[in-house]
Amino acid sequence: MAGTGSCLVLFLCSHAAGNATLFHSLRLFQAYANQLHGHPMIIYVLSKGLFLTFAIHIITGILLFWQNRKARDHKYKVQKRTVKMSQASRTMIYSGLFILLYLIIHTSAVSFGDHETIGLTISYLFSSPLVILFYITAFIVLAIHLSHGFWSMLQTFGVNHPKYNKLTGWLTYIVPISFLLIFGAIPLLFI
Amino acid sequence: MTKNSIDLTLKIWRQENSRKTGVFETYRLKDISTDMSFLEMLDVLNEKLTREGRDPVAFDHDCREGICGTCGAVINGVAHGPEPETTLCQLHMRHFENGDTLVIEPFRSRAFPVKKDLIIDRSSLDRIIQAGGYVSVNTGGTPDGNATPIPSATAELAMDAAACIGCGACVASCPNGAAMLFTGAKISQLSLLPQGQPERKERAMAMVTAMDKEGFGNCINAKECEAVCPKGISIRNIARMNREFVKASFLG
Amino acid sequence: MELTANVPEGPLSEKWDNHRFSSKLVNPANRRKYKIIIVGTGLAGASASATLAEQGYEVSSFCIQDSPRRAHSIAAQGGINAAKNYQNDGDSIWRLFYDTIKGGDFRSREANVYRLAQVSNNIIDQCVAQGVPFAREYGGTLANRSFGGAQVSRTFYARGQTGQQLLLGAYSALSRQIKAGNVTMHTRQEMMELVLVDGVARGIVTRDIINGELTTHSADVVILATGGYGNAYFLSTNAMASNVTAAWRAHKQGAGFANPCFVQIHPTCIPVHGSYQSKLTLMSESLRNDGRVWVPKKPGDTRPPASIPEEERDYYLENKYPSFGNLVPRDVASRNAKEQCDAGKGVGTTHLAVYLDFSEAISRIGEAAILKKYGNLFQMYEKITDSNPLHEPMMIYPAVHYTMGGLWVDYNLMTTIPGLFAIGECNFSDHGANRLGASALMQGLADGYFIVGTSIANYLGSTKTQAVNTDHPQFAASKKQVQERIARLLQSSEDGPTGKLTVDEIHKELGLLLWDHCGMARNKEGLEKALAELPAIQEKFWKNVYIPGSGEELNQSLERAGRLADFLEFAEIMIRDALARKESCGCHLREESQTEENEAKRDDNNYSHVAVWEYQGKDKEPTLHHEKLTFENVTPSQRSYK
Repeated sequence: MAGTGSCLVLFLCSHAAGNATLFHSLRLFQAYANQLHGHPMIIYVLSKGLFLTFAIHIITGILLFWQNRKARDHKYKVQKRTVKMSQASRTMIYSGLFILLYLIIHTSAVSFGDHETIGLTISYLFSSPLVILFYITAFIVLAIHLSHGFWSMLQTFGVNHPKYNKLTGWLTYIVPISFLLIFGAIPLLFI
Repeated sequence: MTKNSIDLTLKIWRQENSRKTGVFETYRLKDISTDMSFLEMLDVLNEKLTREGRDPVAFDHDCREGICGTCGAVINGVAHGPEPETTLCQLHMRHFENGDTLVIEPFRSRAFPVKKDLIIDRSSLDRIIQAGGYVSVNTGGTPDGNATPIPSATAELAMDAAACIGCGACVASCPNGAAMLFTGAKISQLSLLPQGQPERKERAMAMVTAMDKEGFGNCINAKECEAVCPKGISIRNIARMNREFVKASFLG
Repeated sequence: MELTANVPEGPLSEKWDNHRFSSKLVNPANRRKYKIIIVGTGLAGASASATLAEQGYEVSSFCIQDSPRRAHSIAAQGGINAAKNYQNDGDSIWRLFYDTIKGGDFRSREANVYRLAQVSNNIIDQCVAQGVPFAREYGGTLANRSFGGAQVSRTFYARGQTGQQLLLGAYSALSRQIKAGNVTMHTRQEMMELVLVDGVARGIVTRDIINGELTTHSADVVILATGGYGNAYFLSTNAMASNVTAAWRAHKQGAGFANPCFVQIHPTCIPVHGSYQSKLTLMSESLRNDGRVWVPKKPGDTRPPASIPEEERDYYLENKYPSFGNLVPRDVASRNAKEQCDAGKGVGTTHLAVYLDFSEAISRIGEAAILKKYGNLFQMYEKITDSNPLHEPMMIYPAVHYTMGGLWVDYNLMTTIPGLFAIGECNFSDHGANRLGASALMQGLADGYFIVGTSIANYLGSTKTQAVNTDHPQFAASKKQVQERIARLLQSSEDGPTGKLTVDEIHKELGLLLWDHCGMARNKEGLEKALAELPAIQEKFWKNVYIPGSGEELNQSLERAGRLADFLEFAEIMIRDALARKESCGCHLREESQTEENEAKRDDNNYSHVAVWEYQGKDKEPTLHHEKLTFENVTPSQRSYK
């Protein structure tokens, strides 16, 4: 989970950087898209690799979810969370599935659409307040998913040391919030 | 010491043996001294049940001073009850209010089958240790105790991890019934100390494999284990185990 | 009963070497053919199981708990002694030997104690190699502290959890052998009977605690490592499952029981707070360095301590023993606390406690300094009692802690039954009439890691054992005896609980009888009274105890009843032993044997011996034998602390 998760975070970074061109102008964004598609090899490798990473991330996630449900075969009569922050960790599967739903919609509408008119596609898309709402909700869910996922990834890689825990603690807030701000602001540009 | 006493309603999981299914039974206790430990409160209940000709509640316990790791139950959803860093035997009734209802359940996990009432089988934890939680050294012929200096801070870190009492509360509280804190603590202790170096990689691989084989769940970093651990073992030990495991798997 | 100590020839410091050289060995290839049963997985049992399995024997290990890691050795806090002299403060093997034998008030065997001091150093090396995280100095070397009044710093420790860490070390070695298939581990098994074939120990009968199933196990050698019997008193610092059953079963089959009246009572425990109390918690004795012990002068004074003016307080230790004051030895402190409470001056809700007051020390060196020294102890005390010793005096009371008595063993740790060995607290041990702090862990591991292996090889190498397995009729007969015994235990419960007593009610009665008359201070009159009252309690138990459930299931009441039945029989030799030893010695004051200044008076002319009891059968008086103790290397001295 952590391995694929970290790849996906990197993808999000590049995606956010690309999309940030929208803050300048729709034209620049279109130019960026055209530029990107001018290298079919890159697109081919990246899109297949990305698909594979997503698939592994999702399938492992679902498998682990089932395995973990089986390991706790008997629920407690009284369920109590001692750790308040752990809510995000317990809902990873649900936030993850919602993001999957978003991905299906987003990719079929945007990514697999005609890249030459991608600028038009998104301005058409974001003319509907419902779509904007759906996108922003998805980004909030993504932020929640990442709020646990990012720290969890570090922990799984063994990064937990009093010396650096303050920094990683900050990053677990900064990383999801940055993504939320960048991605979340884009639909709002079209209002 | 205060002379207060409280009345309680107990809802306790009763299960005759591992083949039968259990149910919750309700008992009422009056005038429980707040100076009693939780287990002494159960003693009082059992004396009462015995006198009434009913079957007393079976529960595991031994040292009653918080070190043997035998006792444990989930009280109102929290393993070892509401006090931090406290085993059930060291939990006193003054932490409860008059009229409280306490739901008392056994530690649950697929790897911890219930034997009777609150008694569970934790031999899966022993098998994790058997897989590699040791330094392979025979009796005799060992070098002088001072032959290898160990920095005081390292010894203290190893001791932090070694303080685990093997009660299984970490597994009981984990939403997935994972034994990562237990296993991580032992792997940490031995990978920190010079004596543990020769078998460092094999140990990490063997113990993690054994843990998965026993049917414990996976860590989702919910941190519940750390919160209920009566010895305050940190999840830093899980990170250290992960590091050991990653190193052993990829750098062989 | 023949008591041959088998102490080797030669000068004291060469005896162990001579013995190892003259002992028979078993060819490594032949070891696999020998089966060894080890009961108990504390420090002694776990270390012996691991060591013998490493040597190649086929070991079966048994424990009553759900895991071998939970044996009561785990609760030892303070540390473990060794004669390493790492601190360069004048320690040596000879000094550790001398301190131990003197601490035991010259009631132990010179050769055994010397060997203990010799192997103490190997124990530390062994444990370090296993990864036991002992405390370290900043330079990385092992740290030591001075403990239990010793003048040298020879105690190694791992925070306040030394027993736990040493046990986990032994448990890890045992786990490795289980994995290797050299040890078959049987958990949640209670030993119910020892099986003798032709007078030789050849196996045991166990009861599975989960389903009540009885199983027989055969072997060439049986080793008992089943701990002490402090729970005879009901309240003690022992774990709930600690019991005398295994040792007592062996005793009834012919193993001599040595010095059963030697029980160590620790002065600084958290007092009893109610009749529901199930166990007592020990706090380090070091508290007496800064705490002042007192009670109100007026009996029955129930005012809170703060409202009792200075002139109405009795600092009885300081008044009675001006030069030692609050630091008098354990037994003196314990005895005086009980005396004060018996005189009606006890404090707290149960009036079974005395104050240990830190206010003077706090005003002298400040709260911070006190907390630095005793912070963790204060915390533990507050957790249990909800009272902060910084603001009100602690309450303390003595409690039964350790039993020096146990199965009699020779230099080889073999009991009077051939093939039956006893190690750790279970044997009558090297501690004489009193045990020094941090020496119990040392003895358990010495026996298990370094001594019993030599003994077993010597025994097997010099004895022709016949092939015996569980098909031998004696196993079926022993199993039947156990079945009948369980049926007899359950008999009184057939017609329901009405008018009956629970196991604990009777156990508390026995405990009180022993505490009152066979505790710290004894006298003839009290002991005879106890001996006269004991049969009534025994009868009450067999006729009136109510045990719910059956023997074929997990039945904790039945387990406790079985152990109590043995404590009830065992109590008789405890009292008889105390009665026969008309001297004050080690832990105990025999009131008839005091100096003019009311100090304990030892009587070396008449009692410089190990008292060994032989079972003669039901309703027959046991017989007493003596193993004379000779001191060739030390001169027994009388202690004085006035």
